[in-house]
Amino acid sequence: MIRRIVARLVWSVGVLWAVVTLTFVITRVLPGDPARLVAGPQARGVDVARVRAALALDRPVAVQYGRFLGRLVHFGSSEGEHSTCAEILPRVHVDLGRSYTFGQPVVRILEERVPRTAALALVAALFQSIAGAAVGIFAARRRHSLADHASIVATIVGISVPTFLVGIVLQYTLAHRLELLPLDGFGKTFVDHARSIVLPALTLGICGAAYYTRLVRDEMIDVFGRDYIRTARAKGLGEAAITYRHALRNALFPIVTMLGLDLGTLLGGAIVTEQIFRWPGLGQLSATALVGRDGPVIVGAVLVTSTAIVASSLVVDLLYAMLDPRLRA
Amino acid sequence: MRSIRRTRDAAVSAALVAIATWCIASGVACVEPLAAPLVNAHPDDPTPRRGGTLHVAGQGEPRGFDPAAAADQVSLPLVALLFDGLVDYDGRGHLVGVLAERWEVADAGATYRFFLRPSIQFQDGDELTADDVRRSIERALHPDTPDPFASTFSGIVGYDDFSSGKAPHLAGVRVEGRYVVSIALTAPDAAFLASLTLPSLRPVCKSAGERYSAAWLPCGAGPFRLPEGAWQHGISVTVVRNEHYFRAGRPYLDAIVWDVGMPVLTQRFKFLAGEIDYFRDISSIDVSRFAADSRWKPLGDAEPDVEVTGEAMNTRMAPFDNVEIRRAVASAIDREHYRLLSPATLNRANQPIPPAIPGFLADFAGQTYDYAAALEHMRRAGYPYDPETGVGGYPKTVRYTAYEPGLAYYTAQVLQQELAKIGIRLEIRLLGIATWQALTHKSGRAEMTIGSWAQDYPDPSDFFEPNFAGFSIHEDDSNNVAFYDNPRLDALLKRARLEADDARRANMYAEATRIVCDDAPWAFVFYSHRYSVHQQYLRGYVPRPAEIEYMGDVWLDRPGSAADARGASALGSVFGRLAARLP
Repeated sequence: MIRRIVARLVWSVGVLWAVVTLTFVITRVLPGDPARLVAGPQARGVDVARVRAALALDRPVAVQYGRFLGRLVHFGSSEGEHSTCAEILPRVHVDLGRSYTFGQPVVRILEERVPRTAALALVAALFQSIAGAAVGIFAARRRHSLADHASIVATIVGISVPTFLVGIVLQYTLAHRLELLPLDGFGKTFVDHARSIVLPALTLGICGAAYYTRLVRDEMIDVFGRDYIRTARAKGLGEAAITYRHALRNALFPIVTMLGLDLGTLLGGAIVTEQIFRWPGLGQLSATALVGRDGPVIVGAVLVTSTAIVASSLVVDLLYAMLDPRLRA
Repeated sequence: MRSIRRTRDAAVSAALVAIATWCIASGVACVEPLAAPLVNAHPDDPTPRRGGTLHVAGQGEPRGFDPAAAADQVSLPLVALLFDGLVDYDGRGHLVGVLAERWEVADAGATYRFFLRPSIQFQDGDELTADDVRRSIERALHPDTPDPFASTFSGIVGYDDFSSGKAPHLAGVRVEGRYVVSIALTAPDAAFLASLTLPSLRPVCKSAGERYSAAWLPCGAGPFRLPEGAWQHGISVTVVRNEHYFRAGRPYLDAIVWDVGMPVLTQRFKFLAGEIDYFRDISSIDVSRFAADSRWKPLGDAEPDVEVTGEAMNTRMAPFDNVEIRRAVASAIDREHYRLLSPATLNRANQPIPPAIPGFLADFAGQTYDYAAALEHMRRAGYPYDPETGVGGYPKTVRYTAYEPGLAYYTAQVLQQELAKIGIRLEIRLLGIATWQALTHKSGRAEMTIGSWAQDYPDPSDFFEPNFAGFSIHEDDSNNVAFYDNPRLDALLKRARLEADDARRANMYAEATRIVCDDAPWAFVFYSHRYSVHQQYLRGYVPRPAEIEYMGDVWLDRPGSAADARGASALGSVFGRLAARLP
């Protein structure tokens, strides 16, 4: 088991290196000059060159990459020039450079943004998994009933409607018309944050819950037809015990897989939802960085996203082992 | 048991149908009528009142507030509040002294001597002296500073040596007394004072040091200051009154909260609810609705036309290397078709200088729509076109490069239809703005593209030199996207720069206008401006020709009860309102 985990970790480092390198190269070779975007459309060519030099974009891409990789993870004491670094372990520093657009160290920007996106991702994942499981179980237990058909229709609608539309409708009704929640923003206190997160989390969660409902319903219907469930019924076990103790546990495998991958994706930031609700997380940052061709920020955001996805798939594997004793060997 | 289950199923189904209906209904309800403006407390009293916090919002995110590096349209209104300059334009567009009490021009326009107002304090309480002015100029123009306007000041004596690192100081900037500083130019420059209104050289506090640093907390001598931690990226920027400001009693406001990254629809909801007081990022549909509503019309402000847009034709590439083809294009476009795309924010253009900029020729016909003339120019170019049969015209397809998102997506289609009528067939290529810029600024890469220029400062040189002067052509990164090179025009523009006499200078730019309209490197199509709306209780706001969204002179006259209402609304919920009622 430990050898398997170590092998996965080594493999994960390789994946992250490949993703970061690819992103670095793409941001450098795409047509469009980040220096021109920073200097503004009306800046004279000579001033754009000055900005380009200040951003170190006047050096060959290979030189830029060498310097980037040398600084990405480096070792040493905390003394000296570490204004753009984050110390992730004692004497281990990560440096992603400075944002072209804001001039700030990218690690500082990410330190600020990632926890907000993580909070949004967790709340949305929680909502979509609980709501999806509850409705899915409900529908499975009443197969072919009116409620089952209604839930199928609702899930089709939930899956089909784009996130931006769900967001705008929720914003209009719950915030603008009924004034139950803030229209957007982040707030200053914990209570503000808690209230502000509801609408973006609901927006993400409604679409996700629709998928989970279908998944749980289909898995549960499949499990309900198995011999051991029939045996449990013959032994006189109650429906609740059959559903929650026997059927649900076996239906959890695909849900855990999907939840793990979803969480990784959500941690990368929900660009549209964060934009609509002005949730200042990684998604909003990524959108700004893409428009401004802010290479260091794009690389930083991709690194966070890919790390989240790699880590979540690792966790999913471990959870599989916990749920299925056959995989522990 | 079965009936209970059936009832529960029916209830769940009904709930789902209700939710779906609610969603559809709320979508339809988005076209709800405009709410009435919120009233002001003292409509008959014009006396400005002190206090209150102004709430403004914008779609964009500012990049930074260091005047030596600010260039984006989101940051500049805030930079204007944080940093006063030596001189600036007032609300009527007149150049006036701000930190400089007065100035003298010597050496036939080659030396400017500024006399600072004594006892001016920076926001941190330090006194502003001539040394600070010199330090701020050298900091901005130092080669390590990413100043996007640096070359505008290349006429200062010693600029080349200083910007190349050969000299430790800028020789042309001299301190002549505690409050006297002079700037010597290599040659007279009639636009120098106007260029000083740019943010670059505005004095910065001693905490800024001698050299640019991205980590510096902006600090200047403007009416507002930026407290530590007041810029929350992706959320808002809050500036508060500078208690050391040199104008007694100013500014009126306690603070301005500038929400950033806010979508247009959210701005609209918040504006109508009184959560933001000034609404600028209005969709074109809403502009028409606000402008047509008798309650809102008096509160709408059409800002001055300070931006010109044209269809730029690359004079080095076929078919636009033929002046007759360019003239045909300029005559074939009915500008009214462009204006109708957004009637509240566009006006027809006929020349390179917009109406709010000195140098605009009110009585000059310029480029106008004349279909017969357009066909005649096509004939002279050797490509006669018969509109009856559709035979003739330019035999190849011409590629037109534009960008999206934005108005260009629509104007490109208008142009395509207009030029088809004279036998020029366009193929539209839409790119992202970064790619579009990279492509069109390079020589020989785009036959035709959209050209646009907004004032950096209100002077005709700012429009002519970057866009139409041969000396502005750079093969790899040229503002002159038509690559238009006319030695006669270049000579005229250089002489106009040196000319100190306003009347003679105006005549030179009038001649330049005639040359550019006739040679037609651009077919000028529209002048554009912003349309903004403010609540009635926001008073004293006057759109300035030289500065967008300047909020330094406004005051709030909001009734107490309305302010309370805003407080409840800011809490934004039933729970908030309940909490507000608790003892």
